[in-house]
Order: sequence, then C-alpha cells, then structure tokens
Amino acid sequence: MKKFVLFIFVLPLLIYSQTKINVNHKYQELKCKTCHSCDIPTKEKPCLIECPRDKMVSVTQKPEDGPEILTINKIKFENDLYKPVTFTHRLHAEMSDMAGGCKMCHHYNPPGKIIGCIDCHQIERNRIDISKPDLKGAYHQQCMNCHRQWSGKVECESCHELNSSQKSENQKTINSSKKMHPKIEVPAIIKYETPKTKGNLVLFLHNEHIKTFSLDCQNCHSNESCNKCHYKFNPKPEKLKSTLEKHLKCSNCHNTKSNCSFCHSNNPQREFNHFARTGFDISNYHVKLTCQRCHIEKGKFTGLVSDCSSCHGVWSKSNFKHTVVGLQLDETHNEFDCTECHQEKNYKRPGCKNCHEDKTYPKEKPGKLVKK
Amino acid sequence: MANQTRRNFIKTSALITSATIGLTNKSKAAPKYILSEDRMGVLVDTTVCIGCRKCEWACKVEHNLPTSAIETYDDRSVFNEKRRPNDKALTVVNEYPNDYSDKFPINVKVQCMHCDKPACLSACIVGAFSKHENGAVTWDTSKCIGCRYCMVACPFQIPAFEFEKALKPDIKKCDFCYEQRTSKGKLPACVEICPVEAITFGRREDLIKTARQKIKIYPNRYINRIFGEYEVGGTSWLYLASKEFEKLDFPKLGKDPAPGVSEAIQHGIFAYFVPPVALYALLGGIMWINKNKKSKEKEQEK
Amino acid sequence: MENLKPTILQKKFFTPAVIGLTVLAINGIIFLMIRFLWGIGAVTNLNNQYPWGIWIGIDVAAGVALAAGGFTTAALGHIMHKDQYHAIIRPALLTAMLGYTFVALSVMIDLGRYYYIWHPLIMWNGSSVLFEVGMCVMIYVTVLYIEFLPIVTERFIGRVNLPSFLSKFNKPLDKFLRTLDRGLEKTMFIFIIAGVVLSCLHQSSLGTLMVIAGPKMHPLWQTPVLPLLFLLSAISVGFPMVIMESYLTSKSFGLKPETNILSDLSNIVAPLLGIYLAFKIGDMVIRQTFVYLTEVNTESIMFTLEILIGVIIPLRMFLSNEIKKSPTGMAIASFLVVLGVLLNRINNFLVAYNPPYSSKAYFPSFGEISVTIGFIALEILLFRFFVLNFPIVSLPVYSTPQAKFTIRGGSK
Repeated sequence: MKKFVLFIFVLPLLIYSQTKINVNHKYQELKCKTCHSCDIPTKEKPCLIECPRDKMVSVTQKPEDGPEILTINKIKFENDLYKPVTFTHRLHAEMSDMAGGCKMCHHYNPPGKIIGCIDCHQIERNRIDISKPDLKGAYHQQCMNCHRQWSGKVECESCHELNSSQKSENQKTINSSKKMHPKIEVPAIIKYETPKTKGNLVLFLHNEHIKTFSLDCQNCHSNESCNKCHYKFNPKPEKLKSTLEKHLKCSNCHNTKSNCSFCHSNNPQREFNHFARTGFDISNYHVKLTCQRCHIEKGKFTGLVSDCSSCHGVWSKSNFKHTVVGLQLDETHNEFDCTECHQEKNYKRPGCKNCHEDKTYPKEKPGKLVKK
Repeated sequence: MANQTRRNFIKTSALITSATIGLTNKSKAAPKYILSEDRMGVLVDTTVCIGCRKCEWACKVEHNLPTSAIETYDDRSVFNEKRRPNDKALTVVNEYPNDYSDKFPINVKVQCMHCDKPACLSACIVGAFSKHENGAVTWDTSKCIGCRYCMVACPFQIPAFEFEKALKPDIKKCDFCYEQRTSKGKLPACVEICPVEAITFGRREDLIKTARQKIKIYPNRYINRIFGEYEVGGTSWLYLASKEFEKLDFPKLGKDPAPGVSEAIQHGIFAYFVPPVALYALLGGIMWINKNKKSKEKEQEK
Repeated sequence: MENLKPTILQKKFFTPAVIGLTVLAINGIIFLMIRFLWGIGAVTNLNNQYPWGIWIGIDVAAGVALAAGGFTTAALGHIMHKDQYHAIIRPALLTAMLGYTFVALSVMIDLGRYYYIWHPLIMWNGSSVLFEVGMCVMIYVTVLYIEFLPIVTERFIGRVNLPSFLSKFNKPLDKFLRTLDRGLEKTMFIFIIAGVVLSCLHQSSLGTLMVIAGPKMHPLWQTPVLPLLFLLSAISVGFPMVIMESYLTSKSFGLKPETNILSDLSNIVAPLLGIYLAFKIGDMVIRQTFVYLTEVNTESIMFTLEILIGVIIPLRMFLSNEIKKSPTGMAIASFLVVLGVLLNRINNFLVAYNPPYSSKAYFPSFGEISVTIGFIALEILLFRFFVLNFPIVSLPVYSTPQAKFTIRGGSK
C-alpha cells in the first residue's frame, strides 16, 4: 500500500520529467556549444551555429514511426508549372535504411524531435541569408542526390505532375501509399574475384558475419546507394579511387594494410573456425556463447588470453562441477584440488604421473563418463 | 606673302588648339559605369547543378525568344556537343564528365559573366553598354551600330550577333534580366526557376563569403578557387567546381581587367589631348622653320 | 633641270585589263547586294566566334596602312619641304583619298547597322579605341577631301561648262571656285599638319584595337607596343606604296618612270624598315615570344613569312644600289613591303585571333573575297578615272618654267 501511494506521487513527476526531456533538450546530455555559438541562447536569439554544423546530434526513428505520406505544397507560385509532389515518406524511410537512415535527409537535426526542411530553409528565394539553400533548392537537392543515382534522369515528371495534366493527385497518392520496400534478402556467401593472380579470391561469409559476430546491417551498410542492389540501370561499377577505398568496409575490423592472405586466397575459404584461426577451440564448451560475451570491446576481436582463468577466475572443487565435461570423478579423485591433475593452465589434459606411474589419460579414466 | 602666311599660321594654330581643348572637356562624357559595393551577383555551384536546363527555358521565355515546350528540355542528348550562348539562347548548360562518378556528370551553365570591368563597355564605339548599380552589364539597342567590337573584346566570348538579319541586327547576351526583374529587386528568371538552387542570387560580397565557407567545409567537394572572384578584375557571376575550371572550358585569364592595357594606351595617347596637340605644334614648328629656310635660300639665290 | 607639271593624261579609259577589273567589281557588287538584302551571315563565314573577317582585316586595317603614302609624302613634301618630291604628292594623295574612301565603305558594309554609322559623332565613348579610330578616320577622310579640292578647282577654274539650261550658273560657280581656291591656299597648311597628326593617331590606334582581345590573340602578335609597331609599319609602307603605284601608273600609261624621285624615296625606306624591324625583334626578345617560333603551326609560319618576305628581304633589297637604280627592282622590293604589311594586318586581325570556343578556324567565304577584290578593282578603276580627268600625274613640261598651281602650303 505504501509503495502504491509513493508511486501515485512520483508518477506525475516522472511523466513531467519525461516530457521535459523530449521537448526541452536543455536536460539532455549535450554541450550547449555543440549547437549554439553564444553562451546564453534565448528563444528569440538562439544563435545557432550556421549549417552545416560539424558536430551534430541526429535523432532516429523507425520508418513506421514517421508519416506515411506527405504532400509537399509549401512553395506556391502564381503560375506553377507543376503540381505539388506526393512524397511517400515511409517508403523512402524504408529505402534509406541501409543508406544512412533519417539523417540522410534530416541532416543537422537538432536534438529532440525530428524537424522538417522548412524549419531551417526559407521559402522565399530572394533573401538576405544565402548561406543555405532556400526551401525549393533544399527539397530538390535532397531528392536529386538519390534520384540521379537511381535513374540518371532529372526530368521533373518523375515526381511532379504537370499542372496541365489531367491526372489527379489522389490517384498517385493511392498508388504510392501501397508501395513498400520489400524485405532485403540476406546473402549467405559473396564471392569476390580480383584480377590479380595471387589471392584472386575472397570468399565473404556474409551469413557468418551476421550470425557469428551478430552485426546489424547498418554496421556495414550505412551509406549504400540504391544501385548497390538495383544495378540494372548502370551495370558498370562505380570507379573507386584506391586500394584503401576498396577495403574501407573491411578495414573497420580487419587489418587490410598487411596480412592480405587473411582474406585473399586462391582457394575458396571455409567457414569461420575459431580453433583454426586462433588456436582456441570453442566448439566444445563455448559454442553457445555470443562473441560479445568474451570479446566485450566492440569491434575488437583480438588480444584475449586463452587461459581459462582470464574469464572464469580460479576454479576449485567448490565452484566447478566436473560433470559438466562429461566425466564424473570417483570419490578418490573428487578430493583433489584441480591443479593436482590439471598442471596446464588450460585444464585440458590431466596428468596422472604424480600418483600413478603406469596409468595414462584417456586410456584409464579417473571416474565414469556421464552425459554432458 | 611669307609674313602674311606666318601670321595666319599662328592665328589658326591658336584657334585649333583652343578648339581641341574645348572638345576634351566634352569627351569625358562616357557610358554609364557604376561599380557599387552592394552590387549583386550569382554564385553557380556546378556540383549542385543537375543539368535540367530549366534555366535555358526560363531565359528564352523571359526574353521572348522562340522556344519549344518545357518537356523537350529533358532531352540530354544535347550534351553530346559543347554549346555556346548565341542570339537564340542567351544561356546554355554544358556537360562534362566527372572523374569519380559517371552518375554525377558536371553541368556548367554559361552566360555573360557581368564583369566588374567589362571589356565590352570599354570597347564599344558608341558606349552602348552600361554597368548598372546592381552589377548588370546591359546593351542599348538605340545606340549600337553593329560593329561587333564587343565580341572581339569579350574575354569570355559571350556577345552574340544576329548575322542573319539584314536590318537592325541585335547584339544578344544575358542582361541579368535587368529591365524586367533585377532593377525592380526581383530574381533573374534563371535563378527563380532553378529547382536545386545551383545558382544563388545575392550580394557579390555575401556570395564570395558563402562560397569560401562551402570550400572550407567540403574541401573534398570543391577545388579551392572561386572562378570570377579575381578573373579579369572580378565578375558578378561566380563559379564553384569540383575540378579545374580550365577542364570545364573556362578561359584561362589573369587578374588584370580585360580593358586595362588598351585603356592605358588609349589614355596615354589622349592624355587631355596633350600628345596630339603637342605633335601638331611640333610639326607646325618644323614646317615653319623649313619654310623660312627655303625662302631665305631663294632670296639668297636671287 | 626639267620641270614636272601635273597634267591630265590623254588616254583611252577602256583597255582589256579595265574590262577585267569591271567584271571583278560587278561580281563584288552582286555579293554586296546579297549582304544588304539578307544580312552579313548570308555572304560571310563570320560567326559568334569570329566576329571580324577580311572586310575588317584586309579592307579596313590593311587599307588604312596602305593608304599611309598620303600622309608620309605630305610630311616629306610639305612639312620637311623636300620640293623634289612634289611630283609624287598628288598621286599619293589620290591613292590615300580613294583608299580611305574605300576603308569607310568597307566599315559601312561590315557594320550590322550601317545606317547608324553617324552614331559615334554624337555618342561618345572616350575609352573605346574603335571610337578614336573611327573619329580620326572620319576627320581624316574629310581632310583628304579638302586637300584634294585644289586639284578640282585647278581642273575647273575657267573651264566650268554646265549643260544648256544650267549654263547661267557658269559664272557664279567659277567665281565660287576661285574664292574657294584662294581660301584653301591660305589655310591648306592646317589641313596638311592635321592630316599627319590624325594619321599618326589612328594608324597607331588601329594597333591598339586588338590589344583588348588579350589572351585571345596569339602572343607572337599580342603586345602592348602594338600601336607603335602599327605606326612604324604604316610609315615604312607609305613610300613603297607610292613607289609601286607610281611604277604601275607609268607602266599602265606607257610613261617613263620617275626613276630619280623613286630612288631618292627608296633611300628613306631602308632606315624606316630597319627601325620597324628593330622594334619588332626587340619586342619579341623582351617578351621572349621567340619560343613560339619553334613550334610549327599556322601562326609561326605566318609570322616568319611576314618578317622574312615583308621586312628582311625588301630591307636587303633597298640597301642594294643596283636595285635602287632599276625601277622594276624598286617596284618588286616595294611590292614585298606592301605584301609584308598586308600579311601583318591579316595576321594581327585574323591569324593571331584565336577565340576560345571556336570549333573550326575562320576562312573567308567566296562572297567575302569577291567583295574585297571587287573593292580593290573599283579603287583601281577610280584611280584610272581620276588620272584621266584631273591633273594628277606630273609630266615633264619644257615650255613654262613654273607650274601655275602646286599643292597649297608649298612655297610660292
């Protein structure tokens, strides 16, 4: 009862503080100078740092959370040639998933809510402050960046209806609102071939990178163009600058400057094998663990000591059930300290020589086998 | 006889001298040239331009030039050849390959640069060109005699001539939409229609500031140069680009104003008409001395 | 000493050569009509890249230079008072007058709005080189006409004979001519000096014309001393032009060439050519443009031709005594100088001019060439007409010791 009363009292405070955080970013963990150039910004004079701000906080949403369809009709002229665009926001948000997400369009977004173009970009083109494009320019610059990649075309009719055209806006809205970006198929293995003779083959185990290293799509695919998959318009691959650029995606985790043979070989590679690569067999006891259980530091997969004690601490008969390994020790052996038999630090093979001159493991066992 | 001629000579010489000095004062009447600090300009960001050619269409409509329907401007095959502004199109957009991405070709809009020190204005025999307070360089049809010296003088090879017209052929060039728009504080037609605002209209000083800022923030996107900031003494139209301007068919020009040398020579020869008058006096003197010598010789012969 | 007196030549006007020239002139006029009916574009190969063609490069620029004989002989004969040259002043004056008339005509046909040719008179642009050239040429043409007037008065005083119903004006006209003649006699020196000053101004400014084209002009020619080079070349082409014209006249009319006067003139040509060459080479050395001569292209070839054929070879010829004794030799040397200056003007205005966006180089059309040749033919025909109808060419006179009329400003 007491608890409930306390909860009743605390609840409004909680809600208040929650809304406060959403609306008033003052309480967020941000340095004022990230966005404001003066010491005491006011509502009238926010003294925001001019766009583009080099340090920026961007808020992200899921595509479903944003509006489904927007009609962009903020700019009106007396004799407009074209009708306003019906923008399938959700569809575009889905499409941007692997290409940078919300901030792809909502760049330099201040903390708090996601704001639209009109909040920063002026409607009137004939203006004093020309440091950022006007609204019409801002819209089109955003759209054309992808649309040019997509089709290589710039004609207005791909988005706008001519004002003289008979087609109604609604028709287009209805058509496009049904569209959804299909789920992206995840490839299992991608085979890269290089023109070089030595190590011309890289077998990229896409599946394994996701499952074994539990990576998100965005971890690697943060800046993809639509053409990555929809390459029908331009089968010619983009010209890349340097070796460095070609390996950019891998070099986040792998050392791509030396040690080429790690990925490049003339034979197709096998799946990832912890033992083969590191000498530490995880197939017996660690198989169910995620990588992050041991490789706690994100993106760093090297440098762990293979001693059991480095993760498990010091084992003793009180904190280790020997049945786990599939062998129940008989009463005599159960009395010993672990180190009596396991002289090596990795607890692998017990030595019997200390007590029994004529016995060897695994010929003779210090107990009976049980199910793991 | 000789005496009489001599007196005549001095009299008329004096008359001519005073007449020429009288003329000098009048000859200061020059074409309209205002170089305002607040002159406007346009910044063309070629990395933003998408080559939609709407500016070409708007320009033709604004200047009552014949044009096809706006949809026909989507035809990108015109980019196969490099075009130049002419009497039928005051601005054109050309396309150049982008070394890093063939999906983002570089499009460059070409029109009169509206120089701060216009060569056409300096060259024009009748002073038909004017530089207005807002930066526009315009041409006056009521004065032009069609000599085409402006075309010879222009470092950007912009003025075009209606060679096909037998009567009243015009010089055609971008006029910054001076009459109908910019003199009334409105935007030029091309700037108004540009969907991506690749062309920004503003005070020239602000444009340079904005351009510098852009170069600073995106050093990989732009080369570190604003074309038109210093070229031939500065131009009202300024350009940003991702590769060397010379590769985009911009002329290679120095910082000196185009009419500088020829005006210096011209004003040297005609420094308040002193050199011509001095030459006149010198020749008169020589003639007089020679004449005296000859008549003396003749008298001696007699 | 034999006396020379300007006389009207008594010859037939029409000869086979004249008929040929007439055909050429008519051909030119036909193309001119097309130009006036359908515009400049219909006849010429001009375009927005090449706004000026041979009508400016040859007809105007070279025309002005080759008419320089008028002011150089006037300076020599009247200002320096070398009386022995008086015999060639009138032909030179006629050449200059006709030359400048055709320069003005060429400007007129090249102007898009030829009917506004008077605009520069009231619409001034002090910084425009073309304005200065235009004004100077306009005034100089007037001065040339005034200088020519005494020849007209001399021709008609006492000989005015108007057809029947106008015959009552004969007397007043005669009186007017005499007054005019007296007036001109007293003031002629003003016009002669003015003519020389104006010539110096616009001959040099013609060179300044192309300076404003800046980097569009090939560095072999583009130089700030271009006006000086133009003036020097004009001065040095003046006498060769007179020599050639005098030689051709005497050949054409079967007269004896005035070898003495011509070889005296030739003595002046060599130093003038030498000065011009020195400046030209000096300019090239100072601006180090000789590097462009190592490339083989149109520009370098034309520049070499211009200097070699137009300056160096004739300079050597004019230094040779044997050549100076032979009228034909002098005429050939003079022809080379004339050709050199013609080449120089063509080079400056057409060859050196490389607009930045031209897809193909300019070459004159058949129509343009026709008009230019037609104008030259017309000029020669008019020269012939004047020589046959006015006292221009001086012939030896044994009876009267002193000519009645000489050019005014001369000694009396």
